[in-house]
Amino acid sequence: MHIPDGFIAPQVYAPAYGIAGVLWAAGLRRLRRTLEPAAVPRLAVATAVAYALMLVTIPLPGGTTAHITGVGMMAALFGAWQTFLSLSLVFLIQALMLGDGGVTALPVNALAVGLCGGLAARGALLLIPWRTAALFTAGWIGTVVPAVLVALVLGWQPRLAVAADGQPLFFPFGWSVTLPAIVLPHMLVGVADGLVTVMAWRALGRRSGP
Amino acid sequence: MKDRALLLTYLAAVVAASVVHDPLWLGLALVTVLASSGRGAWALTRRVLLAALPFAVAVALGWMLAEGADWRAALTTPLRLGLRVLLMTALAFRVLPLVSLPRALSFSPTLRFVLVLATSQVLAFRRLFTDFRLALTARSPRRVGPRVALRHGAATAAWFLRRAEHDATTMTEALDARGFFLDRD
Repeated sequence: MHIPDGFIAPQVYAPAYGIAGVLWAAGLRRLRRTLEPAAVPRLAVATAVAYALMLVTIPLPGGTTAHITGVGMMAALFGAWQTFLSLSLVFLIQALMLGDGGVTALPVNALAVGLCGGLAARGALLLIPWRTAALFTAGWIGTVVPAVLVALVLGWQPRLAVAADGQPLFFPFGWSVTLPAIVLPHMLVGVADGLVTVMAWRALGRRSGP
Repeated sequence: MKDRALLLTYLAAVVAASVVHDPLWLGLALVTVLASSGRGAWALTRRVLLAALPFAVAVALGWMLAEGADWRAALTTPLRLGLRVLLMTALAFRVLPLVSLPRALSFSPTLRFVLVLATSQVLAFRRLFTDFRLALTARSPRRVGPRVALRHGAATAAWFLRRAEHDATTMTEALDARGFFLDRD
């Protein structure tokens, strides 16, 4: 679901960089101060796992496939903070090294998918007492919340940045298009994400709660 | 220093591309970036089109259908948007391969270190994931059904998570053995 370069106005990506920048700096400072030697390697490996989880494709009705986000699983294993840092690094590596995604969309993607998705998934894990239901909901909500936010940000562009003749300067479609076009398919992807989260957790043989 | 300057130039160019709205200027900038790669211009053009055109065309066609009656509006917006997306993609493909990201990010040793470790793991995991996918296809006499694909996805995810735990431990031990954590104190 993450946004490519060229669709987001500077009025959105500049403040998003400000917010994400403060959180990234706090995360790095926290990492530097930690006394645990494994913290840095664990973040690096969690980043690679977040990337690998995004490669997993699941079938959708109609013969198509979709990529899971793995946000629910990341939040269950590493917590919301590390999910945000790991996914931010994934988007950075994709934008600057793998030629995928983009630098103007990076902070919006990091905040929507990494921070809000991670927090929503972590919240589901903490609030729902039944483990299977909690894991499924974490997988589902970790996909749907970022999709809603991305749809809201994209749909906001034609209201925010228009030319003198009223034509949109960036992504041209409003909320009436972006919300159903992005959120509805991701509600289905979220079901698959939830199922994969539950099944992967069982395959890992975890007995204690997330 | 050269890498950081190149990275900053790239970032400045991307910002500039997002504040220029005249299709003529965006088109000229795109041609300049493509032409700057000399003999590799055609290869770069092909790569940029393959990467950015499908998404840009989908948005443009949708917009043109919605604004069909007003031909001027139906053309200007997709042209502006398409040229900007192509320009940003061309900039990324033209400049970023020249930048050594670890050197460019040397102002933050922690960030540089995490990035190097993460990138090496990402590349290794990507190759392993392709192997898993090919293995599933090779061992399936028929087209893979939803149930098998779901189970394969879950098993692959679990494998990567288990591998991650192992890699984090071995990496920490290897770094510890080489005195990395002593150097950081």
